[in-house]
Amino acid sequence: MAEITMNHIVKEYGDGFKAVNDISLDVDDGEFMILVGPSGCGKSTLLRMIVGLEDITSGDMLIGGERVNDKVPRERNLSMVFQNYALYPHLTVYENIAFPLRLSKKFDDKTIDSKVREAAATLELTEHLDRKPANLSGGQRQRVAMGRAIVRDAQAFLFDEPLSNLDAKLRGQMRAEIARMQRRMGITTVYVTHDQTEAMTLGDRVAVLRKGLLQQCATPRELYQQPVNLFVAGFIGSPPMNFIPGRVKGDALEFPFVTVSLNPDQASAVAGKDLVLAGIRPEYFETAELVDESRRPSGTTFTAVVDVIEWLGNEQYAYIPFEAPEAIANQLKDLARELDSDSMRTRLVVSLDPMSRVREGEDTEFWIDTPRMLLFDPASGDNLTLKTPAEAGATT
Amino acid sequence: MRQRIGPTTIIGSLVILVWCLLPVVWIIMLSFKPAAETAAGSPQFLPQDWTWDNFQTVWEDDQFRRSLFNSFGISFISTALSVILATLAAYAIARLNFKGKRLVLSLALAIAMFPVVSLVGPLFDLWTTFGLYNTWPGLIIPYMSFTLPLAIWTLSAFFREIPWEMEQAAQVDGATSWQAFRKVIVPLAAPGVFTAAILTFFFAWNDFVFGISLTSTDAARPVPAALAFFVGPDQFNPPVSTLSAAAVLVTIPIVAIVLLFQRRIVAGLTSGAVKG
Repeated sequence: MAEITMNHIVKEYGDGFKAVNDISLDVDDGEFMILVGPSGCGKSTLLRMIVGLEDITSGDMLIGGERVNDKVPRERNLSMVFQNYALYPHLTVYENIAFPLRLSKKFDDKTIDSKVREAAATLELTEHLDRKPANLSGGQRQRVAMGRAIVRDAQAFLFDEPLSNLDAKLRGQMRAEIARMQRRMGITTVYVTHDQTEAMTLGDRVAVLRKGLLQQCATPRELYQQPVNLFVAGFIGSPPMNFIPGRVKGDALEFPFVTVSLNPDQASAVAGKDLVLAGIRPEYFETAELVDESRRPSGTTFTAVVDVIEWLGNEQYAYIPFEAPEAIANQLKDLARELDSDSMRTRLVVSLDPMSRVREGEDTEFWIDTPRMLLFDPASGDNLTLKTPAEAGATT
Repeated sequence: MRQRIGPTTIIGSLVILVWCLLPVVWIIMLSFKPAAETAAGSPQFLPQDWTWDNFQTVWEDDQFRRSLFNSFGISFISTALSVILATLAAYAIARLNFKGKRLVLSLALAIAMFPVVSLVGPLFDLWTTFGLYNTWPGLIIPYMSFTLPLAIWTLSAFFREIPWEMEQAAQVDGATSWQAFRKVIVPLAAPGVFTAAILTFFFAWNDFVFGISLTSTDAARPVPAALAFFVGPDQFNPPVSTLSAAAVLVTIPIVAIVLLFQRRIVAGLTSGAVKG
């Protein structure tokens, strides 16, 4: 059990490419920290630097207050679950789990046996102990890898996309399992994923990385409601946040399809700007007919033609195309590419009540909850409406 | 999806089997014939009087037993040394980046391509000077240098197949590099190790050229060379049946070893992949 402190960590490869660029991050004792970002953002590299499989170019890595930059993995006493599990195919499940214990030479056979059986019982592997990894299902292999990690008293757990090889249903189960075990054992955990459901549900805090740079490290709730920039806003949330270019006209904002009025906070945030990007989450939209009369004046209504409807039972998504100025459209396209989501054209994704009977190709009146809208500077991508922590605390 | 085995396949296999095994069967038949029968012009295929005499004669021959001992000793030692060295070298080649890696690999290949015969003369001179002539090391060293390249190439291919994560997982689990190598990498590469071992053993066991040129007495002479000196009482009448019996005896260990190792190789190959 220990806290992990990263001070200005840099990983530079021989060709000068910086996979991890000046990241400073503290993981508290017992905290569940998620590293998330699109592929190639350096999250796995950072994890491998913590465990010692990757050299640190510069900066300090402290585990439990001790500098570990020059320590080999086995001296760091961390346990790790690999993406492909890295089970030893020539050993039985029992021996796989016992492997770290046998290496440490600190335990006699009886202690090892009881520890292995305890770990196996926790993970419901008892009946598979004599089998070889080749004869196990994906979920069972995953649990063996976890067993190998929890069997010894490591200072911290490290997970490298542990659920990415499982099918969706099993992933949900294992996610709950990991969360349960981490809470019970109260052990410091760093978890790398590109799946934002895992990021949002598992983590005490989530660190969003982009091209080796730390964008924001905050609780899932704060990331969702107060993203610091366009990248974080676009990355967190599914379906992703809508970005709509708007021209500032005093205390009003002119979208391609409607003009909305801004509240004083928003107006002061965009004062002096000509063009801003408004970030509106899909659920901030609703069909106007389903919105309470009393709430309606606080937002804005507009009429648009729905392109496609996706009805999922518990919710439904409507897609509404709109025209954006070319420069902005290109910028949004770049952002989408960076977020690994290829959207072909600029369009709104709107999450509607499943009860609303919207039809494709028909004019429909929508309502936007404009006070909850975020405003971004299109050039820098910064969130202009970002509240200080104190303010954020007051509103949420 | 299983294809049915047609009559042509069966006939084809039979033809190939007969073609390959006929000489072997012929030698076995010869080894069971009394000496008089083999000397009588053109002997028939099956022995008229089955006899174990030839085997007994060969086995009671001190020279043969001594050379058999030499062959076993030399082959086992060169196999063991060659496999150990090749495993370490192949691991380094597969995993580490060092200067001259390509040079080592191409040099190894160049050595393997050298014709054996062209080296015998110089080696003879060298060995007589160094006092290695007619000794076990005098044969072990050339056997090793000719089998190492092949073993290194085979093994490094095997090591490359083993995912890096295996080793990294072992290191995170608390293993030193050496422990990770010994407890994870080598067991996983076992099929490769056995393949290399078989190849080396065959080369050493079957070698004739080095065996006959670099030895002069029973002190180090291996079986294939010893058989050439197996003249018998009458110089003009080579003891064909006794020689055949000796040849059969010499083949038995090879067949046994192949069967033994083959099971290990198959077991190693089917032990299972890493992820699903």
